[in-house]
Amino acid sequence: MNALEINNFTKKYDDFTAVDNISLSVQQGEFFGFLGKNGAGKTSTISAITGIGTITSGEITVFGIDVEKEYKEARKKVGLCPQEFNVDTFAKVKDILLHVGGYFGLSKKERQTRLQDVLEIFELEEHKNKQFRHLSGGLKRRLMLARAMMHDPDLLILDEPTAGVDVELRHELWAYLKQINKAGKTIIFTSHYLDEVEELCERIAIIDKGKIIADAPKSNFTKDGGTLEAKYLELTKA
Amino acid sequence: MTNLIGFKTLVWQEIQRFLRVWIQALISPWINSLLYILVFGVIVGSRIDTIAGVSYIDFVLPGIVMMNLITASYMQAAFSLYFKRFARHIEEILTAPFSYFEVLGAFVVAGVLRGLIVGLGVYVIALFFTSASIAHLFLFIVYSIAVALIFSFVGLLVGLWADNFEQLSVLQTFVIMPLTFLGGVFNSVHMLPEKAQMIAKLNPFFYFVDGLRYSMIGIREANVWVGSTLIVALIFGFGGLAWYLFYKGWRLRS
Repeated sequence: MNALEINNFTKKYDDFTAVDNISLSVQQGEFFGFLGKNGAGKTSTISAITGIGTITSGEITVFGIDVEKEYKEARKKVGLCPQEFNVDTFAKVKDILLHVGGYFGLSKKERQTRLQDVLEIFELEEHKNKQFRHLSGGLKRRLMLARAMMHDPDLLILDEPTAGVDVELRHELWAYLKQINKAGKTIIFTSHYLDEVEELCERIAIIDKGKIIADAPKSNFTKDGGTLEAKYLELTKA
Repeated sequence: MTNLIGFKTLVWQEIQRFLRVWIQALISPWINSLLYILVFGVIVGSRIDTIAGVSYIDFVLPGIVMMNLITASYMQAAFSLYFKRFARHIEEILTAPFSYFEVLGAFVVAGVLRGLIVGLGVYVIALFFTSASIAHLFLFIVYSIAVALIFSFVGLLVGLWADNFEQLSVLQTFVIMPLTFLGGVFNSVHMLPEKAQMIAKLNPFFYFVDGLRYSMIGIREANVWVGSTLIVALIFGFGGLAWYLFYKGWRLRS
């Protein structure tokens, strides 16, 4: 079963077509790179998968579950680490995590256990009583990722998770993502840093002006000896 | 399946949010009420003869309780939803396994709770100055919850509609406050000229205040059926509209 299946998905904002009849599938356990320029349609697609945005036409399923018809079940499977910090900036780190755990139906005991796990994994223990607004940029990013992992989703969607993050943390995050992917999590990853996409992803799709212009294993993009960046620029130039 | 844990968490998150700003959310309305009770009830009231057989402070107290309950419920729902949209952490809720009904319900429960806490606080303050009797406890509870429900729904509608913080205050300044003051908080409708009495009876706030006043001191100036029907209609009207807009994701989902 595919972790994600997008069939003929279109997203329109009034007369503007952000995503134009795309079809895409991500296999279970895959580390999938989803690339495109700003405004190409990546975030609109992610929004439709996660419930933040609506679907104009087409069908999206997560592990075979329709994200519109059976949205409650579908959402339990997905964890989102968004591009922008969409949290209550006055809330404390532990409260942000505990609340999200509760939203996903974790019992009080499960929430506490999971809280300790993610605080430890993302080295947030000493910051758990700080308000979000008092965290550094790197800590905020870690918290976003911790929040996405709070309910232990099967599919993790990371929308530019390393934007504004220092080199050390980027490498720590890469190691963590490789580890959870190896343990079976499916990951959809968007980034403007193509070196990390090349480092992490097994398969890559490129969206441009709302259409998928490439969808292939990573090796296909670099088989002529060039870099992913060179191929990306070539494909999105027109 | 109902996401009961999620629902309770969202209500608790909302309560935590208003307790974080407890001075603004609770102390401020209680101090305002204390001043109203002191000035209108004790200082001015001691020079006013009884109204409908009760002291002036007892006559105005239900209106003061209602005024604060309305404002608290409205502000809780409107500011919370707007702030969540503004800072985009509504996305935490949109990506979670909630039905639209559960989200709407949690916001409304939080709005009603804040309204009741503030209203109860005003009542307790009043106990220092008057007997603050409650003639019909059941009706007192029903009217309080019903009106808090209405203004939680109204707050959510404004929280959805507003594009900036200023717009959140528009309804409060231009509708809620004037209509509450003109709804018989400080005067009996019989004190007004005949034409003004007719106009006063077109003001829905008159029925809210009158209902609570009846439950507290047993004095009624409005038709009970008109008042009850209006309150039920407003609950279903505003509640239905809020549910529909949540269901459609209007200004919630892109």
